[in-house]
Amino acid sequence: MTEPVDLPTTLERTLDQFLKGVERRALRMAELATTNRDEAMDLVQDAMFGFVRHYAAKPPAEWTPLFYRVLDSRLNDWHRRRQVRSRWLAVFTRDPEDDESDEIAQAPDLNDPGPLLRLAGSEAARDLDAALTRLPLRQRQAFLLRVWEGLDVAATASAMRCSEGSVKTHLSRALASLRRALEEHA
Amino acid sequence: MSIENSWLAQAKAMLDQSADGLDAATLSRLNRARQAALAQRAPPRRWLLPAGMAAASVLVLAALIGRGYLPSVVPGAQEFPLTAKTAASSDIDLVSSDDSLEFYQDLEFYAWLDAQEQEQDLGS
Repeated sequence: MTEPVDLPTTLERTLDQFLKGVERRALRMAELATTNRDEAMDLVQDAMFGFVRHYAAKPPAEWTPLFYRVLDSRLNDWHRRRQVRSRWLAVFTRDPEDDESDEIAQAPDLNDPGPLLRLAGSEAARDLDAALTRLPLRQRQAFLLRVWEGLDVAATASAMRCSEGSVKTHLSRALASLRRALEEHA
Repeated sequence: MSIENSWLAQAKAMLDQSADGLDAATLSRLNRARQAALAQRAPPRRWLLPAGMAAASVLVLAALIGRGYLPSVVPGAQEFPLTAKTAASSDIDLVSSDDSLEFYQDLEFYAWLDAQEQEQDLGS
């Protein structure tokens, strides 16, 4: 009887399953940040390498925020490099209201049916995509990690390496901006 | 479910659809990236622990012998202290001796001859 050679260890199988479970959402997050699939793919691959290198030995229960911490770091690096390039090109188009806008004025109206209800099918998805792309990086990450990935506030804060209060602020602003942006297209 | 939660649930569903709808080429690239990331994990170096312990044992033993905590020879064995000084002087004796080089080359023969003579003396 011959024994199979190079059988993956339990840890490797668990790692493989974990990465397989997050890679699509990670790619979409990176794509929303870069608006370029190739660059997004590079960032996700870098994040996978970094995660396996630094955090594979951690308990699997901690992997999700740790993986997104690595991805968030890569996205921040990419964003900083892009900002430097943008300064030279003078095409930086960030919304000036982003950091100074009134949170209460931007708070969502719970009696409103919601912008996506007025959009139909692929058009709604496209508008959501565009609205997410226009969000500042930190707001988008707070939205995607909290709402899409389903991390709690503490895990989101760990992934974004900021305080829980900052997560709440970023998320509040992201929700208000998204609602406003999608209303314009409804 | 509140209206706000309903709106967010819709947004989440759209994002899920966009992730589930990735094309085969992209999924293949993701698979290759994942396999490459997993492949970088070096296999556990199981030989390092015993090798390290053996090296540490040798070092400790050498240190103990060097500091005189352990005898450098087996107890009971005949000791032939050979210092640099005595070794040098024996070499000088050998070189300056009047005996020919053939004598030293046939030293074993002379030792055997001496033993034979002693046996004959004892026998007689």
